[in-house]
Formats: sequence, structure tokens, C-alpha cells
Amino acid sequence: MSLTQAEWQIIGFTLAACALSTLVILPFGLAVAWPLARYRWPGKLLVETLVTLPLVLPPVATGLLLLKFFSRRGLLGQFLHKQLGIDVVFTWRAVVVAAAVMSFPLLVRSVRVGFQSVNQRFEHIARTLGAGDARVFFTVTLPLASRGIVAGVVLAFARAVGEFGATIVVAGNIPGKTTTLSLEIFETVQLGHDASAYRLLIVSVIIAFGAVWLSEALMKKSAL
Amino acid sequence: MSRLLRSIVILVAVLLSHNANAAEVNVYAAASLTDVMKEIAANYEKESTDKIVFNFGASSLLARQIIERAPADIFFSADEAKMDDLQKAGMIASETRRDLLSNSLVIVVPNDSQLTITSPDELLTKVQRIAIANPRAVPAGIYTKQYLSGLGLWDKLESKMVPTENVRAALAAVESGNVDAGFVYKTDANISKKVKIAFSVPVEKGPKIRYPIAIVKETKNKGAAEDFLRYLESAKARTVFERYGFIVKF
Amino acid sequence: MKLEIRELSLRLEQFTLELDVDLQNARTGIFGPSGSGKTSLLETIAGLRKPETARIRLDNCLFEDTEQAYSLPVRLRRIGYVPQDDSLFPHLSVRRNLLYGTNGKSKHDTFSFDHVIGFLKIGSLLARDVRSLSRGENQRIVIARALLSAPRLLLLDEPLTALDASLKETILQQLRSLHHEFGIPMLYVTHDPVEANDICEEILILESGRLLSRGNPRELLG
Repeated sequence: MSLTQAEWQIIGFTLAACALSTLVILPFGLAVAWPLARYRWPGKLLVETLVTLPLVLPPVATGLLLLKFFSRRGLLGQFLHKQLGIDVVFTWRAVVVAAAVMSFPLLVRSVRVGFQSVNQRFEHIARTLGAGDARVFFTVTLPLASRGIVAGVVLAFARAVGEFGATIVVAGNIPGKTTTLSLEIFETVQLGHDASAYRLLIVSVIIAFGAVWLSEALMKKSAL
Repeated sequence: MSRLLRSIVILVAVLLSHNANAAEVNVYAAASLTDVMKEIAANYEKESTDKIVFNFGASSLLARQIIERAPADIFFSADEAKMDDLQKAGMIASETRRDLLSNSLVIVVPNDSQLTITSPDELLTKVQRIAIANPRAVPAGIYTKQYLSGLGLWDKLESKMVPTENVRAALAAVESGNVDAGFVYKTDANISKKVKIAFSVPVEKGPKIRYPIAIVKETKNKGAAEDFLRYLESAKARTVFERYGFIVKF
Repeated sequence: MKLEIRELSLRLEQFTLELDVDLQNARTGIFGPSGSGKTSLLETIAGLRKPETARIRLDNCLFEDTEQAYSLPVRLRRIGYVPQDDSLFPHLSVRRNLLYGTNGKSKHDTFSFDHVIGFLKIGSLLARDVRSLSRGENQRIVIARALLSAPRLLLLDEPLTALDASLKETILQQLRSLHHEFGIPMLYVTHDPVEANDICEEILILESGRLLSRGNPRELLG
């Protein structure tokens, strides 16, 4: 089984877009997971619900929300289009946005568990040794939570690669520009090109399998 | 008491017999036919006890569904290629096949656009993104590609194309303003209040658009399907088709 | 040194810890059965627990004044804390652990690394993995780490539990001469009368969060 050049381009594009989306959501994931893991505050349940929403909403519904928001006439899209000349809908940026939004809940969940597993005693000790909040976070909390964080990153990446519903709504399926692995599988199935569909299916399975395996292995170690 | 009982029995019998006669005709029709067919069906249902149930979509998608034994009674395609595919696969009753309609292509732009197009090659310079129905499968997209290839413009315009699931999705993309222009049927442009026609492809210069219709061989409602098909060829239906901008072939 | 703990009231699970004392000795013991509030007291002084009311001052540095809603952040209190449970950072090497409290400090704000290492005899442990240390080695490193941050006061919470007798004696000796060597006063929590007698100049006896008595350990504990 060997892949055509077009298929390699699609795989390469998908991996690159998902790597970017995962990178983008990482700081936000940390920033959101931290207060969720450590503190109680009014409105916490609302935030938890909003963050989990993309996980349970029909992906096309999420795609629709993103479409409305980023379209040239939409809330943010308007600003981007008129002031910065940047289009999101029907471009690679929409692929990244859809992947980011859909994989965010998984990242937050894993990171939150990671933070919760850090024994706060170490943070206390670090403070007595003179470390401020930032130093405690970066030199003690993050390293000790790293297994959960890495697991979250891997899971988010895998979810991004598997994203379809939101992507097709907000990015469309434009060959060479926004066609991802999932979109291409859909198209080849539609057109009856089964051989190609199966090749891409195998690639998807490999990526997903590897990512989930790695994520589970890391989380098991973290629980010890 | 027995008179009441008798009335109930008669009522139930009437209701049951009414249901026994009323059939549901499943019509799988191209997306571009959505509005016109709904109106025609509504008229038809006033005169008949049958009910028309629609499944609108890209003809390519519908053809695939029918091949997978979806319960369609009538297939109304936007191009001959899809009907040919079904005919080859032995899925349609060939004697019932006929070309019913034709259509023409137009270039539409959002209502608030300042764009003017006097000829298709202006697309090379005046627009960034053009929505069309997927040219790999959907008739509207295939017709467009045919037309532009004939003018030697397809290769140069290909990078601007934003392919969509079906022609109505292309229309929606133009309505939303997320693309600068789109290729749709004249009939689609007519029903939308959010787009305006920037250029009409002259019928003689444009691709030969044909909307064939046929009864699916494995239909369970042959009689009802035939009735409806006949209605579609009637003068009443013709008036409605023409009002929407379709070119009636028969 | 002078440690003022005034009008302290801290609500705990079974009782309320209440204390109103001035401590002036170099080596003060906090003595009592487990669960009498000793650990909570240390945590409050370190700033890791917030009391309902308190006015806590170390020499001329105000740590806590609930009436004025003032609380000096933990990192500014310069208190060395040796807790009961393992507290070496598991993700750092022994050396990194030791140096954690010296970050950004200039050479003369801290004690010499070699001096502290030599004093606690942990030179041979520098290359070891934190997870491979015995309890005795662990505790000595924790004490060294606290020392290296040049604290004003050392808080030790039952540092010698689970150690065998000869090791206890060795470390006790080191702790006894710590003030002489480095000039740092200490609060030493224990439930072992032998340790209290050995190390402390004065002890406070706590029970259920209340100060029972205070004085010379030999007299009080016999």
C-alpha cells in the first residue's frame, strides 16, 4: 500500500494544521484548567459547562456557531476581514480554528487531572523557600503535572486529526487548501473511490491508535 | 347504543379505507428543484389523496443512495450522467425516463456587492473566491466546469474555487458573503433575496443542462408514482416551472 | 529572637487552636500528643494557613494582623520549614533541591553551600536520586535545603520520626549546634520527651489546641 502525492499532501496538511491548533490551545488550556483544578468560585459550573460543550454538541452545530462568528459579516470575522484583510471561513485558518475548538475540552480535562494530582505540599514548600506564584507554577506545579499535560496534548492532537463536522461547515472541502484527512475520506467514499478511502482509513487508525495508546500510558503513570 | 356503535364502525372503516388508498410517493430530487417542487407538490396534494415526500440533495449523492437501495419512487436528476449511471445499474424503469426540464447558469454575487461582470474572464481579476457545487460530482459544478473549460478559463480559475456539497450550498456561501461570487442555476438566483445576478450565461453558449426524471424500478407505489409523473408533465405544473425560471422541455 | 503570637485563633476539625505567647529562646519546643494542633501552629506561622484572628510578629517584621487584614506573603517571611512528611521535590535532583531556596540571592545573603553540606554531612548524597534516599538522608537534605535559603527562623515538625536511635542522636547533635553554627532560632515540634529534653531550652505543652503549660523541659517532663 503506498500513498499518492495528493494523499501525502493531505496528510501533511492535516498534521501541520493539528499541530498548530494544539499549540494554540495549550496556553489557554493551562490557564482554564488551573482555576478549575484548584479553586472554587462563583460561575465555575458555567465555565465547566461551556468548556465541555464542544464535546457534546453535534460537531456541525459547533461548526455553525463558528461560521456565524468568523464569517465576513460575523462578529469577529468582520473585524478580521475589514481591518486586517484576513479571511477565516473557507481557508486553512478555519481548519485550525475548528480543530482547536473541538479538541479544547479534551485538553482541559487532562490538564485539570494533572494539576489535581500535584501534591500542594510541594508548592507550599517552594513558597517557604522564597518562590513567588509564577516561579512555583513553572518550577514545581507544571513539572509535576507534566504527565497529565502531555497526555492532554496528545489526546487533543488526535481529536483534532479526527475532526470532521465542524471543519466541513466552516472550512469547506477545498482541494489543496482545506482538505483534511477526514474530509478526504468522506469525499472518496462519496465518489466511490474505495481503494483510496481504505488507504486513508489505515493512516487515520494508525494516528489515532498511537495517540490514544500514548495518552493512556502517560495517564497510568501519572496515577501512580 | 347500537346506533352509536354503528356510527363508530362506519367512521373507522372510512378512515381505514382512506389510509389504504393514500400512498406516499418518495421523490429524490436535485437540490436546485427544492422550492419549485415543494410548490407543485402542495398543489398536487390538493387534488390527490397521495402524499409527496421529498429528499433533496446533490444528484450525485441521491444517485448513490438509490444504488444503495434507498426507498425512492422517483428520481429527478439535474444531469443525465447520474440518470445514466442508475440506468446502467438497472435501477430505473427505463420506459418511464424522460427529459423534463432545462436550466441556465448564472454568476451571482452578494446583494451588497459592487462587483460587475460583463464576461467570465473578468473573474480572473475581479474576484478572490468563487463558490461552485463540487465539480467532481454535482451536476451544477460539472456544468460550470464544462462551461469554463470550453472558454479555456477553468485551469486559471480553479485555485479560486470553493467547492460545496450541492448547488444550494454554493448559493448560501454567496449569500453569507464569505465568497465573492458563485455559479448557480438561474432558478436558484431567482428564489434568493440575498444575491443578485452579475452575469447570465447565454443558453446557446452554455452547457446543455438536462433534468431527466424516471420512476425507480423497485418502487412499491408504481401507480401513485405514475400519477405524479403525469402531473409533472401537465400544463398546471408547467406554469409553475416556468414561473421559477426553468426551461420546460416537453 | 522574639516571636510574638498574639490572640491566635485557628478553627480546626476537632477544636480551635488558641494561643497568646511571646517566644524568646533560640530553641523552643512545641510538645503534645498527635492531633493537638502542633502542625497547624507551624503552618500558621509559616503563612500556609490563615487563622481567624492573629497578630504574629517575628522580631520587627509583622507577619499577620487579621484586624488590619494584613498578611505577609509566604515567600517574604523567610521561614525554613521542615515538615513531617517527605518534601523533597521529586522532579529535581538533590543538588537542585538544595539550591532551590538560593535562587537569585547573592552570595552573602545565604550561607556557604559547602559549609551547610559539611555541617549536615550530606556531601556524598549530592549525586543521588531523590527517590533512592533513606529517611535519614532525606531529612538531612530537607534541613540543609531550608538552611541554604538563609531563613530567619526554622520550623521543624517531628523531623526525627521513623529514624533509628543512632541516626536520631547524630542529627540531634547537629540540630543542637545549629544555632551556634548559623545563628538561626528554631521551633521544634515533637511528641518525644527525650528529644524535647535534649534540644529545647523551653517547651510549650499543647493539648487540644490549648496551652497547658510552659517552661523548662526537664522540670515539666521529668
